[in-house]
Amino acid sequence: MAGVFTPWWRNRRLLPWIVQAAVGLLLLVLVAFLVGNLVRNLTAAGLLLSWSWLGNPAGFDISETLLPFDASLPYWRALLAGLVNTLRVVLVGLVGATLLGTLVGTASFSSNALLKRLARIYVELIRNIPLLLQLVFWYFVVFLALPNGTAAIQLPGVVLAKSGLFLGAPELVNGVWQSPLKITVEFGALLTGLVVYTAAFIAEVVRGGVASVPQGQWEAAGSLGFSPLQTLRRIVLPQALRVIVPGLNSQYISLAKNSSLAVACGYTDLYSVAETSLNQSGRAVEVVLILLGAYLVIDLLISAVMNGLNGLVQLRER
Amino acid sequence: MTPSPAVMIEARGVEKWYPNGFHALRGVDLSVEQGEVVVIMGPSGSGKSTFLRTFNALEDFQKGSITVDGITLSDDLRHIDAIRREVGMVFQQFNLFPHLTVLDNLTLAPVLVRKLAKAEVQRRALELLERVGIAEQAHKYPGQLSGGQQQRVAIARSLCMEPRIMLFDEPTSALDPEMVQEVLEVMQGLARDGMTMVVVTHEVRFARQVAHRVVLMDDGEVVEMAPPERFFSNPQHPRSRQFLSQIS
Amino acid sequence: MDAVPPLRLRPGAWQRLRRGLFASRVDGLISIVLIGFLLAAALGLAKWALFQAQWAVISANSTLFAVGRYPLEQQWRLWLLTTLLALATGLSWGLLRAFPRSGPPVTLWPRNDRWAVAILVVLAIWRPMALQLALPIQMRWWAITGLLLLARWAAGRWGQAIPQVSRRLVPLIWPLLYLVGMVLISGGLGLVQVAPSEWGGLLLTLLMSSFAILLCFPLGVLLALGRRSELPLLRWGSVLYIEFIRGAPLITLLFLGQNILGFLLPGGMAPDRVWRAAWVLTFFAAAYVAEAVRSGLSAVPAGQLEAARSLGLPLPLALIHVVLPQALRVALPATVGQFITLLQDTTLLSLIGLLDLLGTARTVMANPEFLGKNAEVYLVLAVLFWCCCAALGLGSRALEIRLNPQAQPSR
Repeated sequence: MAGVFTPWWRNRRLLPWIVQAAVGLLLLVLVAFLVGNLVRNLTAAGLLLSWSWLGNPAGFDISETLLPFDASLPYWRALLAGLVNTLRVVLVGLVGATLLGTLVGTASFSSNALLKRLARIYVELIRNIPLLLQLVFWYFVVFLALPNGTAAIQLPGVVLAKSGLFLGAPELVNGVWQSPLKITVEFGALLTGLVVYTAAFIAEVVRGGVASVPQGQWEAAGSLGFSPLQTLRRIVLPQALRVIVPGLNSQYISLAKNSSLAVACGYTDLYSVAETSLNQSGRAVEVVLILLGAYLVIDLLISAVMNGLNGLVQLRER
Repeated sequence: MTPSPAVMIEARGVEKWYPNGFHALRGVDLSVEQGEVVVIMGPSGSGKSTFLRTFNALEDFQKGSITVDGITLSDDLRHIDAIRREVGMVFQQFNLFPHLTVLDNLTLAPVLVRKLAKAEVQRRALELLERVGIAEQAHKYPGQLSGGQQQRVAIARSLCMEPRIMLFDEPTSALDPEMVQEVLEVMQGLARDGMTMVVVTHEVRFARQVAHRVVLMDDGEVVEMAPPERFFSNPQHPRSRQFLSQIS
Repeated sequence: MDAVPPLRLRPGAWQRLRRGLFASRVDGLISIVLIGFLLAAALGLAKWALFQAQWAVISANSTLFAVGRYPLEQQWRLWLLTTLLALATGLSWGLLRAFPRSGPPVTLWPRNDRWAVAILVVLAIWRPMALQLALPIQMRWWAITGLLLLARWAAGRWGQAIPQVSRRLVPLIWPLLYLVGMVLISGGLGLVQVAPSEWGGLLLTLLMSSFAILLCFPLGVLLALGRRSELPLLRWGSVLYIEFIRGAPLITLLFLGQNILGFLLPGGMAPDRVWRAAWVLTFFAAAYVAEAVRSGLSAVPAGQLEAARSLGLPLPLALIHVVLPQALRVALPATVGQFITLLQDTTLLSLIGLLDLLGTARTVMANPEFLGKNAEVYLVLAVLFWCCCAALGLGSRALEIRLNPQAQPSR
């Protein structure tokens, strides 16, 4: 444009850069202030950033762990055990929540009015009660109230007792149940709570996905002779997946993050171990960084997998 | 001796490149006098809408100069705001504000920008709605009106700012055929009252009846410029002839 | 003679039930199993609730649940605040009814309102009795409920007479009330200071959630605008913030707030633990609200901003009067959903040692006298939360309908 001088505060081209420079400067000053204080305070407390403490013996036990662990092993082994525990409950939880959520979601399209209504009630009930409350409920009111010993609940192949959930071929040895596959009540409570909670949201995602498929698809399939169930499986669900998969992504990430509430169920997940580590070592900054980093990586992994799935599921259009 | 009418829009050598390198405007010149009605036509992609939108700074340009109502378009925000107050624009998609009533649509800008008293502006707005023929819809929401009614409200909304120039970007292209006429009639009335208008449209009959000049654009350039009688009956440029054969 | 054609009746209730539940053999089987299961569960629950459960744990600790360890002699301030809240609610409710969106008000007490009044009256009478509160306290609840209904009736009846100017000031009551409430709760201006560590129970829960809800909204809007800005610094800054927050579990951030905030400020001084948590909740929710508002912003066609600019409106005014009103209407369900989540997230405060409703519950149950009464307490808390969240959800749907009478409410 013609070179007429315009003062900067009215200049359409300069103004954005000046605004950014101002904001950038403000942020820089803020960060410098905070980091400066951080370094100063940490030095005063003798806690300057270092990672060598991870090799020190942990000094605490972990109540249940897949990897062998005892108090003499270093912190990093403890955190690793915690991470494995988190991954354990998240993976099983994802599968369980997806199954239950899909069941409930498709139930809202059933021809049985009672089933539809129950599905609706389930979703509305679970969504409006805090997850933490549900978790402590499952742990304290349900799982810890299970009877023990001979009074334990015995189903074919499964025994539910206060000392744990025994799968495989459980047998009573000296009043104590044993079996090749055992799940602690802590894990059981956390898993049940997470699955029931997340399934309600997944049910909504599935319902929204199925509802997004145009009615004409159902009608066409019906006129071709498909039963409602066949229509759902072969015609509607594949199309609904286009809408469902992105929704599932956010629900899965939500479940992964919610697993950090394990401490309420007495399950030693990553957060719980990290909290104990901080109390023992006083290394607040490092522990928080590890926590944030770990959950970020888990989220990114889940997103990567779901995005890959998304690519598979999107319609190839002209 | 009558003084020659003032030049309202003066565009010289306007060139525009899109960020992807596409050369949208290749040195366009146009001069619009006060009270003149200029119709710009051309195939899609010719840059006619882009050119129109440079007049009120909705599109920027890299080379050349545009002066509107004596104010030169530059990076100066004050100039741009001043120009936008004097230039009204009517869009193909109406762009009425759906969360406000028709009356509020009209009064929003004069109250906020020209800082006029609300009662006074409302009075003027009702007069304008009367003029475009929909005074009884003043308290309805745009969603409750038909396409033709909405576009007439859009015209009234621009007029409420008392602009000296009105720009129309394909005002009837999104309307059902039976509603095109009511909007064209309003525009004709504006032209009769001496408004300076630049209209991008495909409506040949409107151009013949109302325009003082027809401008054909193609490929970012002005191909031909002539009064409608001459343009439609005896086009000079081969591309004009090709275009006219396509639309008739 | 032709036969009389059979009368076509609407299917009776029995017919509809049969069709809904027993349309096919499989359906019939499912229905029978479900009904059997539901009956058994309902009977079991009723038996437990009436005969085995010991509800004394609730009534004995009702003050603790309500306001935590708030000093007894200062609790009159909380009663005052509750009264003011009741008045403000009644006033707003009545005025909303007196000025419906379209046309003159139909009746003074529409059907939904009558239900609400019935529920309020039942609560006011039953709850103090169930909690076995002392009579003066029961009477105070009756008085407060009465005041609420009185304000509602008066506002509905005479609301039309209030001049337009004053009417616009009415929504300002709420922020004002919030400030007054803060003073009443924490002290200052001649009132005795009550430290945040003494706030607890429902008081703390409501305070934390209302603080976070109020502040996260403008912050979220700013972030959403920044996210869609063309200026790279603002855009990437917003993206960084939002994605960082969304990748972290809330408990981790609360943990960060409690442990690291002291290091970030000079001299290791840090605000009270309660306020640290409140700010973390705010910044956390702001990121999610930003995402909701962002989808609202992208639902507004670009032509709206163009039309506003071409009318001469400068950018800030165009955003405030044209773009944001439309964007917020679209973003309303998701935003209120975030507020509901925020209310539920206050329970996490119990994990960092703060005495919100859940934290108070756990200290109550640690008392040997009430050991093992988990089920009763958790059930009551669950009902309480469910009612609050469901009420917020209903309010959101009503607000949606009011703002956009043509669209279908979502959720």
